[in-house]
Amino acid sequence: MTTRRNFLRQSALGAGALALPASFGAPLGSTPPKRFIFIRKSNGIRPNEVALPSFTDQEKSLDAKRQPLEVDLDKHELPEWMRPVAAHKANLSILQGLSCKMSENGHWSYSSVMGAYKSGRNSLSGIKRATIDFEIAKLFPSPFGHVELSLTGNYSTFRTGIVSGYSAPAPHQRNYCYADPQTAYNELFKSVINPDAVNSDNAMLKFLEGEESFKAGVLQGYEKLKLSNHIDSIDSIRARNKKLKKMSRAIAEHLPKLDAVHADGGLNASTPEKQAAMTDVLVAALVTGLTNVLTYTIDELSTPIKGIPGNEGDHISIHELGHNGGYSGIPADKIREKIRFGHMEQVATIVGKLKATPEGNGSMFDNTVIMYFPENGEGHHSHGTEAPFIVLSGDKCHLDMAGRYIRLPYHATEGHKTIGNWYTTLLNAHGNPTEHYGDFDLETARKKIDQVGSIKQLMRL
Amino acid sequence: MTRFSKTPLLFFAVGMISMGSSLWGETKKKSFNDFKISEEAADLLENYCYSCHEDGTEKGDLRLDNLAELELNSRLDLLNKMQEQLHFEEMPPKKKEQPSEVERASLVSWISDELEKHNASKLEDKLRMPDFGNSLSHDKLFSGDYAHLKPYTPDRRWLISEFIFDAKFNQLLNHKPIKTIDGKRQTVIGDNNRRVNLTNPFLLPTNSGVRYYDTTTLNGGHLLTMITNAKNAAVQMTEHLAKRDKRYLPSFTALMTEEDRHHGILESRRRYLDSFIEPVLVDIYGSKHKTLLPRFEQVIVKEAAAQGEIKKAPFHAANPGRDELVLIFRSMRRLKKGGDNDKQLIEKCEREWFNFGHNPRKVQARITFLRGYMEEWRSQIEQHRYDEKHKPLVYKPHGEAEMKIISSTIRKHRKKGDLYQTIIDKCMTDWEEQFKQARLQAGSANDEVIAALIAELFTHIYERPTTPEEASKYLSLAKNYLADLGNMHGVQKLIQTLILRSEFVYRSEFGASNPDEHGRRMLSPRDASYAIAYSLTDSSPDTELAAAAANGKLNTRDDYKREILRLLKKRDQFYVIDEGVQRIQLTASITNLPIRKLRFFREFFGYPKMLPIFKDRKRFGGDYDGSKGRLVGEADRLVEHVLKNDTNVFEELLTTDKFYVYHSGDNEAMTASSKRIRRIHEYFKDMDWENFEVEDLLKHKEFLAEVKMRGIDVSNLAKKGRRNPIREFKTALTSFALRFDQGETAAAPFVSFPAHGLYNASTRTGLQLRSPEVAKFYNIQLDHWDYPGEQPAKVENRKGILTHPAWLIAHAQNTETDPVVRGKWVREKLLAGTIPDIPITVEAKIPDDHHSTLRARLASVTEAKYCWRCHERMNPLGYSFEIFDDFGRYRLQESLEHPDNLVKKGPDKAANHVDLRDTYKNLPVDAKGYLRGTGDAALDGEIKDAIDLAERLGKSARVRQSIIRHAFRYFMGRNEFLSDSKTLIDADMAYLKSGGSFNAVILSLLTSDSFLYRKAKQPE
Repeated sequence: MTTRRNFLRQSALGAGALALPASFGAPLGSTPPKRFIFIRKSNGIRPNEVALPSFTDQEKSLDAKRQPLEVDLDKHELPEWMRPVAAHKANLSILQGLSCKMSENGHWSYSSVMGAYKSGRNSLSGIKRATIDFEIAKLFPSPFGHVELSLTGNYSTFRTGIVSGYSAPAPHQRNYCYADPQTAYNELFKSVINPDAVNSDNAMLKFLEGEESFKAGVLQGYEKLKLSNHIDSIDSIRARNKKLKKMSRAIAEHLPKLDAVHADGGLNASTPEKQAAMTDVLVAALVTGLTNVLTYTIDELSTPIKGIPGNEGDHISIHELGHNGGYSGIPADKIREKIRFGHMEQVATIVGKLKATPEGNGSMFDNTVIMYFPENGEGHHSHGTEAPFIVLSGDKCHLDMAGRYIRLPYHATEGHKTIGNWYTTLLNAHGNPTEHYGDFDLETARKKIDQVGSIKQLMRL
Repeated sequence: MTRFSKTPLLFFAVGMISMGSSLWGETKKKSFNDFKISEEAADLLENYCYSCHEDGTEKGDLRLDNLAELELNSRLDLLNKMQEQLHFEEMPPKKKEQPSEVERASLVSWISDELEKHNASKLEDKLRMPDFGNSLSHDKLFSGDYAHLKPYTPDRRWLISEFIFDAKFNQLLNHKPIKTIDGKRQTVIGDNNRRVNLTNPFLLPTNSGVRYYDTTTLNGGHLLTMITNAKNAAVQMTEHLAKRDKRYLPSFTALMTEEDRHHGILESRRRYLDSFIEPVLVDIYGSKHKTLLPRFEQVIVKEAAAQGEIKKAPFHAANPGRDELVLIFRSMRRLKKGGDNDKQLIEKCEREWFNFGHNPRKVQARITFLRGYMEEWRSQIEQHRYDEKHKPLVYKPHGEAEMKIISSTIRKHRKKGDLYQTIIDKCMTDWEEQFKQARLQAGSANDEVIAALIAELFTHIYERPTTPEEASKYLSLAKNYLADLGNMHGVQKLIQTLILRSEFVYRSEFGASNPDEHGRRMLSPRDASYAIAYSLTDSSPDTELAAAAANGKLNTRDDYKREILRLLKKRDQFYVIDEGVQRIQLTASITNLPIRKLRFFREFFGYPKMLPIFKDRKRFGGDYDGSKGRLVGEADRLVEHVLKNDTNVFEELLTTDKFYVYHSGDNEAMTASSKRIRRIHEYFKDMDWENFEVEDLLKHKEFLAEVKMRGIDVSNLAKKGRRNPIREFKTALTSFALRFDQGETAAAPFVSFPAHGLYNASTRTGLQLRSPEVAKFYNIQLDHWDYPGEQPAKVENRKGILTHPAWLIAHAQNTETDPVVRGKWVREKLLAGTIPDIPITVEAKIPDDHHSTLRARLASVTEAKYCWRCHERMNPLGYSFEIFDDFGRYRLQESLEHPDNLVKKGPDKAANHVDLRDTYKNLPVDAKGYLRGTGDAALDGEIKDAIDLAERLGKSARVRQSIIRHAFRYFMGRNEFLSDSKTLIDADMAYLKSGGSFNAVILSLLTSDSFLYRKAKQPE
């Protein structure tokens, strides 16, 4: 029988878990949960863009030849576009050498990059498993379970409202996501800013519970069980809504202030303004305890880029940048760098705000892992042999990689690691003992090179 | 109790080992005095069990002599396992002395009672599950000894499937997609690319076999998703469908009349002011107007950096979007005066946009765009006929009464320095408030309208009228919603409520007539109509079936028969078989058979399971990802072909040597396409076409115009840009020559090079027939293939679906075959056999050894005595498929794929007829095995390979009956009970008497007592 507890377990990130809670986070006084932020960016990250400018000749040579390499960041300068996170070098890792051939789909990866499989556009049947963010969210339950944000568009305008996302709660299912800061704000903090809507939902659920209970009263055996599951499910959602209401004071304290430009989807907001507002919402969702896992598509190829410094009036297509088109006389590479710089500013803001939020004897950031990575490997038209990850992790996270530039052995050579190994590392380090997450790399398999499991040297247990 | 400490127990070695260590740690902790063992049970345990399972022997690390000392949960776990092993007659082992049927029942009864005390029995639940379908003895079911029992299905709710979910919402949201099929436009069911964002929570499991059972209940995950779906559907129904078509929800339209009227007025005023605010203001204020304007503030626009060698983004990647372009165009046309240069024109535009109050960023973007792309923009204006498409808006007053309102409101609100947009916003707010007050004064909607709306919603959502109780209850609920949330949101909430009721997500199948002497009641006509419709399709009853139910013509077995036969013959509705297949390389995945009839075999064989298996292009030696959709689509086509013939269906499916390979299903079109290539080849083959120039080609322009070749337009043979007709002619001729250079008589009609335009062959949906590399799965070389235009056609070394590459891949691993999975499939699906779960302590891993075949490696870990007990039911069957590799290619040698064994590296890229595979050392394949379990001595015995196996299976009565058992489960949504014996025997006889008609099986099952009758309780 589905008990209340079972219900919560089943619904923890079950289908379409947006705004649908599993259970509540750790009670006050207990160990804080770990938090994970996955930031997806489009157009690839070319490995040389993350190479350190202060490499010695030998290091430079090894890096260029894709040979294994590890250096301490405190002895090096970061690439110019990473300057915003320079203050957090001690928590920063640059992870090079991972491959993602099993998820590489050309321009876009949709759910693939976070599921380590190939799923095409609009093809639900290609979604083979829950994406890594949903798997991790199961380990750190929260009222919303998992939150997905995105800034995407149709080249001319931004998408707004609640739209289909990229993460997958389960095989053959696609998540929903909030596509603009105001919608994310309205939905996440609904219990405070629109209690009438919550009350009306509760009234509906109460009515439904009454109806189904009446029907169940005349049934017996297995049929009664079916309806009692229905009733339990309704009952549990009502219970969650009640708890959210109880949290409203804490939520109110941390409500971000959104500029009026974001109203009605924020059609006039520039890309940097949208990013800044999304960062505020993202941080508030974590600080209020509404979620512990966030996935944020900071851009995809069709996201319009408007109002970036130096190209304020240009209407920039990221796709065109991938084909080397420049704007207002500024070359594509330079604009790509500026876009990444803008992303790093947001990452630095997130880190800064979490570090400024006390938790236990430290800060919230101590328990946070932020990953910034390309959705499709190393370029605009990728091969998937490289997929650089920029990771910022707090001291209490179970990762042993902070403060280092790490280049792992190249694709399909002995010791090579895929994004599947990296995701397995995240899972194993945080309580899911799975042997391996994700599809295998077929070239590595053909060469009979072992590729199962976590990257042990990056774990700290 | 003392007996427990002495006598060992024998059984539970298999499947129970996992209990070992975890239990023993708990044994001394607690004693539960309430645990009693009956005298009779204790004797039986002593006689049949202890010899193997007590302190000292503990076979399988298991002892049962200390049950009383176990902690409660551990004991209940152990009792559950004991109950299962006894029930399924897995223990005592066959070679040991067996308890009589009565003794076994007695021991099971004692265990069941113990478990019942704690409500902890899991057997009952398990027996409902698909995995336990075969646990009921096949011999008993078909013996005839139980044919006197009266079949029925328990009253039930049955959770909708993923397919019914889609059909229901498509129906509710008027989603009726159209496809061109065989040249005609047809509505199709199963194309679910709806505009509304819905998530399907009712996904079926992905196993092969019957997937849709009545055992699944709605859980939290389902409901959470349905809440969001219900919200989205409600918005679509009210804000889009009802607005677009007033017949969709007429009472909602009536309810919204006043709001809609007000909304219409508001929109009309807004549009008017958006277009003509300036002349209106001039009319009102005359010369004073200019003095009231805001002070112009110019936006800052940087000069572009020097371009140098930098590639400039093209127009399409730099313009600010279609709507913005139209707006810019209108401003430019309106403000352009002779003699203005671009700079002056841009400034005039900027002033206009400023006065209007356009966002400074938008203005900045427009100016940046105009400065950077004026030349391209002017060319676009001309090319896309902007002037013609966007006629100038001619100002005229809006009607006297309206202009009076507009003028007075503007006068009321305009302040000096107001932007136009500010004035419009103030006016709109004023008018909105006035209309709202007017509606409040008019009072709430009358009950009749709301009652009619509820009735319409019930018809849309539940396809039935309300009962009087429902009408009253929902009237009260709706009035509350409307009062609290307003008309629009109130109705949306009402729709959400109805969609979230269990009635929407569960099928209802309850008996309704007076009970017969066995306590059974026939399905109500309405429930019966849905049961029949959902048996053959995913949709609710069609018009005729619904009418039959409503008019008292669905009350007898003959009534059922009439409707089922009608639906089986229906061919005017097309279905998408699989959206996933359809998306791969434009494959046409369609049928006009009742979809669930085809889907039974698709799911039973499970070949679509190959789609998500990630396989290596290099190991395939070609484009695997592109070809896999075609492979599954052609397996579907083969099943459809056999079903359309409807003769000896099971035997045909198991033993046919005819397959579809790169074929649309249209024999005439495919033959014509193939002949056309031969004709072109024959025409040019003796000419020096390799050295043709354009003028040579022109000499054959009549012929070329007639046969039409890809990329060659005889009226325009000049080379331009990427277009190079002479090159394309030679590429095609080279490819055609390759297809005939070894004496072939017909060529496969695939394209010679990728390009837009003419195809050599089309799918039935009129798209290019792609992925000829599907032939590689069948060991067919594209450059050496006597292509049969008429298909299905004979393919060497194949026999039936079990030798179809799609089935073989679906039942293989990523890089190796899987004899265990293949053997298990045959044992369970065709021989009605059972195989216990794999013990948890067994690590199912085949050792790596690149000097041995897979069979040898598998044997080394599964043929030990302990493992063989189960593996002997699978391996000897599965080994026979070793004549096929993990891509389903026939083979005599097994390639030992390992870098150490590499003999020759294949190319990484080449034309599609080239095999890209690396060559490795190899060893001969041993595909010998044996077949046991058909119950027929003439068929059981040593087998040579899978082809031999398929031939024997095709002759087996047990195989035929096993498929019928699965068909029973598929159409009834449950496992068979012993009381269904007559239904199964009748279906088997129907098949035999009809010469192997599957329609006859369906008709027999759907008119059986098992289908017609319901009882409130499960059988004992």
